[in-house]
Amino acid sequence: MLKTLTAQDLFRLLDRVSRDYNLLVPRNLDDGTRGLVKWDGQQLDFCGDPLQRKPTSHFFPQTDLLVQLLKDGTASVPRKTPEPLALLGLCREDLQGIAFCDRFFSVPPADDIYLDKRRGALLIGLTGQAGPEGEFLPLAGQDCDIELIAEKPTWTAVAYSEPGAHLLEEFPDADPQGFERLWERSAEITVARQEKLAQAAQLLQRELVTDDFWEEIAARCIRCGGCNFVCPTCTCFCVQDRQGSHGTERSRIWDSCQLDAFMREAGGHNPLGTALLRTRRRIHHKLVDDPQRWGEPGCVLCGRCDRACPTGIGMYSVCDAIVSRFGERL
Amino acid sequence: MRATLTTCPYCGTGCNFYLLSDDKGRLTGIEPAGKHSTSRGQLCLKGWNAHAFVHHPERLTTPQIRIDGRLQSCSWEQALAETHMQLKRIAENHGPDSLMFLSSAKVSNEENFLMMKLARAGFGTNNIDHCARLCHSSTVTGLVETLGSGAMTNSLSCFNQTDLVFVIGSNTTEQHPLIGSRILQAQQRGAGLIVADSRKIQLAEHANLHLRHHNGTDVALINGMMRQILLDGLEDRNFIDKRTENFAALRDSLEAFTPQYVAGITGLKEHEITAAARLYAQAEKVMIVFAMGITQHTHGVDNVRALSNLALMTGNLGRPGTGINPLRGQNNVQGACDMGALPDVYSGYQRVADARTRLKFSAAWKKSLPEKPGLMATHAIEAAAAGQIRGMLIMGENPMLSEPNQKHVRMALKNLEFLAVIDIFPTETAQLADLVLPAACYAERDGTYTSTERRIQRGRKAVAPPGAARADWQILGDLLRRCGVPADYSSPAEIMEEIARLTPSYGGATYARLEQGESLQWPCPEPEHPGTAILHRDQCTRGKGRFSPTRYRPPQELPDEHYPFLLNTGRTAVHWHTGSMTRRSHLLEREEPQAYTEIHPQDAQKLNISERQMLRISSRRGTIEVSARLTERVPPGQIFIPFHYAEGAANVLTNNALDPESGIPEFKVCAVRVELC
Repeated sequence: MLKTLTAQDLFRLLDRVSRDYNLLVPRNLDDGTRGLVKWDGQQLDFCGDPLQRKPTSHFFPQTDLLVQLLKDGTASVPRKTPEPLALLGLCREDLQGIAFCDRFFSVPPADDIYLDKRRGALLIGLTGQAGPEGEFLPLAGQDCDIELIAEKPTWTAVAYSEPGAHLLEEFPDADPQGFERLWERSAEITVARQEKLAQAAQLLQRELVTDDFWEEIAARCIRCGGCNFVCPTCTCFCVQDRQGSHGTERSRIWDSCQLDAFMREAGGHNPLGTALLRTRRRIHHKLVDDPQRWGEPGCVLCGRCDRACPTGIGMYSVCDAIVSRFGERL
Repeated sequence: MRATLTTCPYCGTGCNFYLLSDDKGRLTGIEPAGKHSTSRGQLCLKGWNAHAFVHHPERLTTPQIRIDGRLQSCSWEQALAETHMQLKRIAENHGPDSLMFLSSAKVSNEENFLMMKLARAGFGTNNIDHCARLCHSSTVTGLVETLGSGAMTNSLSCFNQTDLVFVIGSNTTEQHPLIGSRILQAQQRGAGLIVADSRKIQLAEHANLHLRHHNGTDVALINGMMRQILLDGLEDRNFIDKRTENFAALRDSLEAFTPQYVAGITGLKEHEITAAARLYAQAEKVMIVFAMGITQHTHGVDNVRALSNLALMTGNLGRPGTGINPLRGQNNVQGACDMGALPDVYSGYQRVADARTRLKFSAAWKKSLPEKPGLMATHAIEAAAAGQIRGMLIMGENPMLSEPNQKHVRMALKNLEFLAVIDIFPTETAQLADLVLPAACYAERDGTYTSTERRIQRGRKAVAPPGAARADWQILGDLLRRCGVPADYSSPAEIMEEIARLTPSYGGATYARLEQGESLQWPCPEPEHPGTAILHRDQCTRGKGRFSPTRYRPPQELPDEHYPFLLNTGRTAVHWHTGSMTRRSHLLEREEPQAYTEIHPQDAQKLNISERQMLRISSRRGTIEVSARLTERVPPGQIFIPFHYAEGAANVLTNNALDPESGIPEFKVCAVRVELC
């Protein structure tokens, strides 16, 4: 289903969405960043920087209360949010990140905690002229219910799911040729970053990156965990139990494979007991193990870890260094 | 979900983040502030977990009073009336100077201001101090003498411009991670790096030169560097002539510090000293960065003086990319000092001994004010032990774990007639109290905090405090009113108005400006003043920069045949001080759950010690048991124990020998014995 929307249409669409969903829309925040905030019926900012916070955190938050075990022997499970979420303003990489988590958490035994939040949620991609100062963002083509492609002053809207198609029904059809042209423009956008990632992945898969390289990278890691906490495909969590006067609260919280205790055994033995092993593992996992398991890398190139790393050893920076150091071995 | 922008409660770097909370008023996570000048979308592990302790079940939720030896819940009215009555009774019977008030570098500027107002106007004593006594009192004393201001001279952005960073006594990537990362970035873009630290800290791996001098020999090292700089003619003559005084005295004092003499004291090679001197003096712009490795010595003030001399001699002051940069430890230790939570000054370092200043505060507060400077925190513990201090109010501090010589501290606190503690958790100190008042933590109250680069920033309330807990400013406001001092504040913003009226360096600081996103670095004397990124630009705060000669004095207690190891103490990257917050944060506690000592493999081999074996460590003051960690981070002959752990408290061992001028204890050097358990 291919539709064309004017600004008025778009507001009508958002009104419709907000009737059945808790709609969050992109806003340029006071501190200069961009975030998803509750739709107030009036304000949203279509163009801007990538979203600061990874959108997967709406379904897999940093702290998630799982169950309360009460002193009387009963258990209480947190009530589900009555209104499903609708997220508007997701770029291609953000949608890929959510798709990655969907797949990961859906593998049997499926993760009910994640799926309770995710099921029924509506994802609205925002691509085309929606980057900083209207810069053209590559089209997603999947991974969402609706993709809105900004073309100033109108939007092309594509439905990729039944709920999406239902919401778009009433709007006029778009010109398929125009849609083709959008795809052509999208394809023109440089793919250098993807190529660099693929080259680095190849070098790692063929074990052409030496340990002295990882020694250098590890020497710069200050063990903040930021690379994991901002990564939309990082799914590791640990369980925290807290005992109070009423009973025990069990939550799951984001974990980080860059921490020494991530794999440390009770007796002290640690298979990832050095910064070198941990740093190498982080990149290997995304670029070697994930492609083997899922058929695609665990990095969607959203750039968040490169921005969150205080010492410049985020995924892309490391890949860049790998390719410039070892690229000729390919 | 709500997102509340606030300032990190851990170190003094001043990172900002959003506290994320759900519709039930529970914190669910942290988001670094993307465009904030300090955090820039980044945080350290503590910052990423700064929400984790807030809803911990051990939070204090009701006031407690000790009846028949046990702490029992009571009403706020009873708790506040009792606190006021007991302190008043002691002041009336034994004089106001038999009271001591310990303020806190963890609470806001407004709350520190009220605490010093309570001590001075409420109870008539200047006996107020806080944990800056244990961290940077040497810096304030040293730099006020030489430059006229005790604060970090430059800004964090200066790391982008510097040619060389000289890090001495600061494990920056672990203790101020987002400053450490800036130093690493500077090094990556080609700036030089000298690290002077006996431990092989992370920055040392990246340094052009790593000087592993013996703990406590900094004066000899720096004097040796300066002598070499003069010998090579690398000093900044123009700067010395125009901007400084007392140079001749300094020059004469350096004569003895030949490379050979300095090498003998420090354990360094002679060529390392000359190389350090040349690297330092040949760079156009150098930032000196220091922390506890410099200050926590019986000659801490001399260490600071020596660094100040070095910067002045080479003209590394008053320009971008230079300066003397003490990294303040706590999130608001700068602010607590600025607010006059110190025994000799009101807010803005206005001296209590000055009659006109006293008159100004007296007129504002409608109370006559004491003129005799009060006791330092470390001296107050001694005075309590001797029975001269009889009543104490402690807010957000845990001297039982943070002060040296724990046995002595316990005896001192138990000796008090009355001890009241305001805190968020039942700390080791709160457990000794006669009265415990439950406080709101940083995420539950509004206020301002001043970071190490003198940046005044907002903290904002994201969630309600647990149970009956109240914000410190509300508790202190109530006590002030009971003392008959005007304190009808409806919000911290109103307290800031009073601060701005009475404090020249904060004269232009208002909530309205901070709400508009302005970032204010003091001095900010007027409402239109943009703030000050770099101090001492055209002249020093005191006028001319003063060279202050120093002589080398060894630490008070060095290893001997009975206690053959040198004990160095400090912190780990993941825990904060006495652990009351971080040890209740799952990821942080999981990372370092156990008290340990670093010991060099050579020493371990001699004593037949293997990894993770439990060791008994004894000093002249006590004994603890900790697990062994074999590492070359420490040199042979030295062990390092972090002081976070009540169950293996390093401060059972440390020496309460004090710097005579600043009253700081010698946390970095004492003598211990190591045995297998």
